Amino acid sequence: MRQLRWGLFASSFAVLAFAGAASAETIKVGVIATFSGPNAIWGKQFREAIQVYAAEHGTEVNGNTVEFIYKDVGGPNPDASKAAAQELLIREGVKYLAGFDFTPNAMAVAPLINQAKVPAVIFNAATSAINEQSEYFLRTSFTLWQVTVPIAQWAADNGAKKVITAVTDYNPGVDAESAFVSAFEEKGGTIVDKIRMPLQTTDFAPFMQRIKNSGADAVFAFLPAGPATFAFTKAYNENGLKEAGITFYGTGETDETTIDALGDQAIGLTTAYHYSGVHDSDLNRSFTAKLEEMFPQSRANLASVGAYDGVHLIYKMIEAAGTDGEKAIESSKGLSWESPRGLISIDPDSRHVIQNVYIRRVERAENGSLVNREFDTVENVPDLGFSR
Amino acid sequence: MSRESTIDNVRTSLPIAKTHWPLVFLTLGACAAFLLFPYDLGFMTRILIMMVFVISFDLILGYAGIATLGHAAMYGCGAYAAGLFAVHISPDPLLGLASGAAMGALIAFVSGLLLMRAHGLSLLMLSIAVTMVLQEIASKARDVTGGADGLTGISMGPILGVFEFDFIGKTAYWYAFCALFVILALLRILVASPFGLALRGIKDSSSRMRAIGTPVYWRKVTAYVIAGAIAGIAGALSAQITSLVSVEVFNFALSAEVMVMLVLGGSGRLYGALIGTLVFMTVHHVAASIDPFNWLFAIGFMVLGIVFFLPDGLISLPKRIRRMIGAVR
Amino acid sequence: MTIALSILVDGVAYGMILFMISVGLSVTMGLMRIVNLAHGGFALLGGAFAHVLTVWYSVPFIAALAISVTAVTFLAIPLERLVYRRIYRFGELEQVLATIGIVFVVIAGVNLFLGSTLLPIRMPPEVSSPVDIGFKVLPLHRIIVILAGLAVVAALYLLVEQTRFGIYLRAAVDNQDTAASLGINTSKVYLAAFALGAALAAIGGILGAELLPIEAYYPLRYMVLFLIVVAVGGLGSIVGSFLAALSLGILDTAGRYLLPDMGTIFFFLAITALLAVRPNGLLVKPS
Repeated sequence: MRQLRWGLFASSFAVLAFAGAASAETIKVGVIATFSGPNAIWGKQFREAIQVYAAEHGTEVNGNTVEFIYKDVGGPNPDASKAAAQELLIREGVKYLAGFDFTPNAMAVAPLINQAKVPAVIFNAATSAINEQSEYFLRTSFTLWQVTVPIAQWAADNGAKKVITAVTDYNPGVDAESAFVSAFEEKGGTIVDKIRMPLQTTDFAPFMQRIKNSGADAVFAFLPAGPATFAFTKAYNENGLKEAGITFYGTGETDETTIDALGDQAIGLTTAYHYSGVHDSDLNRSFTAKLEEMFPQSRANLASVGAYDGVHLIYKMIEAAGTDGEKAIESSKGLSWESPRGLISIDPDSRHVIQNVYIRRVERAENGSLVNREFDTVENVPDLGFSR
Repeated sequence: MSRESTIDNVRTSLPIAKTHWPLVFLTLGACAAFLLFPYDLGFMTRILIMMVFVISFDLILGYAGIATLGHAAMYGCGAYAAGLFAVHISPDPLLGLASGAAMGALIAFVSGLLLMRAHGLSLLMLSIAVTMVLQEIASKARDVTGGADGLTGISMGPILGVFEFDFIGKTAYWYAFCALFVILALLRILVASPFGLALRGIKDSSSRMRAIGTPVYWRKVTAYVIAGAIAGIAGALSAQITSLVSVEVFNFALSAEVMVMLVLGGSGRLYGALIGTLVFMTVHHVAASIDPFNWLFAIGFMVLGIVFFLPDGLISLPKRIRRMIGAVR
Repeated sequence: MTIALSILVDGVAYGMILFMISVGLSVTMGLMRIVNLAHGGFALLGGAFAHVLTVWYSVPFIAALAISVTAVTFLAIPLERLVYRRIYRFGELEQVLATIGIVFVVIAGVNLFLGSTLLPIRMPPEVSSPVDIGFKVLPLHRIIVILAGLAVVAALYLLVEQTRFGIYLRAAVDNQDTAASLGINTSKVYLAAFALGAALAAIGGILGAELLPIEAYYPLRYMVLFLIVVAVGGLGSIVGSFLAALSLGILDTAGRYLLPDMGTIFFFLAITALLAVRPNGLLVKPS
């Protein structure tokens, strides 16, 4: 009897909560990301960039207050991601989802957003195939094809003849390898060898030996950020590859949040990416200055800009469509704006961001920290991996 | 670990099997949770699935005394089996569960032939190695499993042709609950049977059991296969309810967490597994939502507190309190 | 031929790092018989101290190493008196739970003060310069680690096998009551052995950081690796751990040279085969 009464009590609350959401005074955005565990940096960067955007642009759009609700999933964990999305959609009545650092976490919510017709803006997860899972996925980060094809072409145009690829043996690594090989060979270059390194690798010396023996004049590498990249770039220097004149080409290995840990050995590494913390534009300078003012320990990286632009996109969708998910998605297609990374737009087909990809080299900046200095640009690159 | 003798265990286990209160409590608890937390069904379903997984581990660790750190092997195989079954053969959930159970049992049998000969540290390491190999295979067989992106395209049909999986997750919750209920009921019969008693005997003294003619090795393999089938069901439930399987199902951390949850609750009693899972996951969930950066403190101190002050696990708490009250009187 | 030599050299260099990072565990788990999953926690603390000293305060590497190891040792002493003394008497499962609880607290502590990103330890630049040894190039720090590993295994061998402390320790582990009745102060012996294990963990964490970089989740990320070395080496044998670390290093390196695509599978299958044949470690024939 008592339980029954509690049940009634709870369900009356449920009715109230739904009613509250429907009156649309406050539009809630659920942010699903990793705020704890070894990958907590993703959630931290997302949250800080969101707060910077809100500080700059206010929390009101067309008279509606925008509220962000954060849910931690503790790493790549599709079970937790789906449960978090359910809770956000049902209890909080969120009208937009956002975040998603890891591919499986994004994939797991596809059926839910299809049913609920709620747009989900991906701030990071970089597998092309995600956007094919649902019409409601939008993405403001990058895909591996998008940044890898430019570095392959640029390398071919700038003297690289024989390249060896060394990638971590998991989906993103294999994506990067296929993209590099196809683009580089198209340009007439030769791939002398392809190495796939086990995900568990801690000692890269054996691979360095193989790279050296291959006779390549450059190596293209892809590794997950963190310990693996740290150990790989260390091995690259310490085993004399740099001395032997083998150029390093990469993509996100020189991430701003880990680059200082790499130290001097990172200087001179050449990478192609869509964002550098020292991108030369007024908007980027004001963005990074605001970030530093609000969070003195932080540095802007790809996650920050992905979240910053993602929030911008959500604000624009709210402006155009309020809480109507279908209309919001339509309104986002073809939208273009200036981001801290340069001019970007949403590709109507893939719902992924079209953006410049910059060729950068690691330098030591005047304030002593290491930065990715952009020196060449490949303009308006779409997601080259979509429906491949 | 257990200071009680086999005789005592027999004496205490038989009456428990006769009372049905625990199953009644479980059912009432599930109903109450359903009514009280209507928005947390997704999370509570994950707890129920984890309970299925942890009781399967209790069968081998708590009853047979086999300590492994690779229980995720069977969970993961069950998840992939059910996922692939749904994608390629049939969307029927119950057949999917059966395929998960079969795969869990199969992998437990094959690896168990080797593992059940080992003891102590080398058993721990062998079980880890098996899981690592499976994870690597799942990660490399991208064409079949989707690799690190996850196995997608799982869409489930209605249960028994009637109950559709709904958006809010009501069906999923009751589905997981029914699976837990049935497995628990069967396990209660199993642990009170001569087979269950033999397992306890093996845990207390395998040489004595061998002396009275029990085929110790085959009993252990059998227990491992049964536990593997149940773990496979847990994995299958997770695959069906999330509609996605990722290589993380084979994570070492999952195997380790299962052990922590079981010992926390109290091993060798099926309800200890349930309580340990409930408390661990709830504390984790609440602490992580209050302070995602520092929740590990809460878990760490909780684990330390229990191991120092309640060495027999949470399930011994009422007994402790009763004893304390008795001492005061 | 060059390949074989390369495998040998790289394998030994890697194996020596494996030895250094797990030697503390061979003391606490191997000799003292505690399932000490918190081993990586002490390595993490050592590495975190070294990070703070070298990066924040620009302390020279050698001095930072000495200060960090001393600091970890002095942290280990009260921890042993207050917590570990009770853990010794627990069953194995309770030891697992208690030490994993300690790991969680250590991780959360480092995470709170230093965050969850990489914590590099600054070394003199010469240490990472390549050294040409004829048929291949080897980083200088690998050579340093090889020498350090040899020194540690020799010193530990002498300590455990040849000194009074070693005899006391083995007696205390075998039978605490008998050892005590013979006049051995078992409590002090345990304390000393535990502090030694913690100090070695810290040294290993710092010297191994070039390969296994320090970050808050270090103890969990590499737990399997530490355990494998001790399990393959066999409990109670420092020399066994040493040989195990070298063979595992060579095995893993060979896998990366010859079968890079199957790397991890090959490594773990080999360990499975090894443990199936020698369940009590490399040096112990199954009874």
